[in-house]
Amino acid sequence: MIGQGSRLKRYIFASGTLTLILILTLAGCASIRLISEYDRETDVAVTAFQKKMERFLISLERNIGKEKAEYKNNAGFYDGIKVDLSAIRVRVAAIPKNEITIQQIDLLIENVNNLERIHKLGMTHEDIPPLRTAFNESCTAILKLELAKKRRRH
Amino acid sequence: MAGIDVSELVTNMLNAAKDVLGRKWPEAKDYAETAFAQIGEAISFIETQRALGKMPDEKARLHLEIQKNTSKTVMLTLEGLGIVAVEAAINAALKVIKDTVNTALGFVLI
Repeated sequence: MIGQGSRLKRYIFASGTLTLILILTLAGCASIRLISEYDRETDVAVTAFQKKMERFLISLERNIGKEKAEYKNNAGFYDGIKVDLSAIRVRVAAIPKNEITIQQIDLLIENVNNLERIHKLGMTHEDIPPLRTAFNESCTAILKLELAKKRRRH
Repeated sequence: MAGIDVSELVTNMLNAAKDVLGRKWPEAKDYAETAFAQIGEAISFIETQRALGKMPDEKARLHLEIQKNTSKTVMLTLEGLGIVAVEAAINAALKVIKDTVNTALGFVLI
């Protein structure tokens, strides 16, 4: 006759084995994915955004005080860059397990809106260095994560 | 009006973050130091510009908002790098047991 303690041990062993098998099965067998795959399009688009922003800030810096740097003559830049960011947002949102990158792009969009508001209030030479640093830092952070996804072992 | 001690501000921010992050602090430290130093620089910049009469309230808020969003972006990268590391650890663990489990069960499970 099998004792109660022994039955309990067998039950624990069986349920433990089942749990292990279940975990391994849910794990997708070979490996698991907790965060999205590297996306070359995101990498290229964020790099292009950074270049476009830098070109814009260099041009503003050179022309501050002139009519060319006034907001009304640069509204087209904001329209264009918002379209670029919207396209990046749609792209990253279509990739599974990409929530962190989605949040980062949303913050970038917010910062472009904030930059536009500053420009409407009147841009000075002194405004530009911290804005440049902020946009460069944001792009670096987004790309750093994207490249970490690329480097991981499969 | 006394000037803002930016170094003290940054130290206070780091101490507050350290308390919240607890055991995760060592891996977050470098990112937090960079992010908070930049918020400190933004505050110092705002203070200087206001003293010169070049920084209206709304513009000051927008500059700080930009810096806060940048810091959030940097910290999100840290979170992502942590997930990549956990994923790598789990996959390494699965790889180690792969042959043993598959052989024992008589079919390719892992």
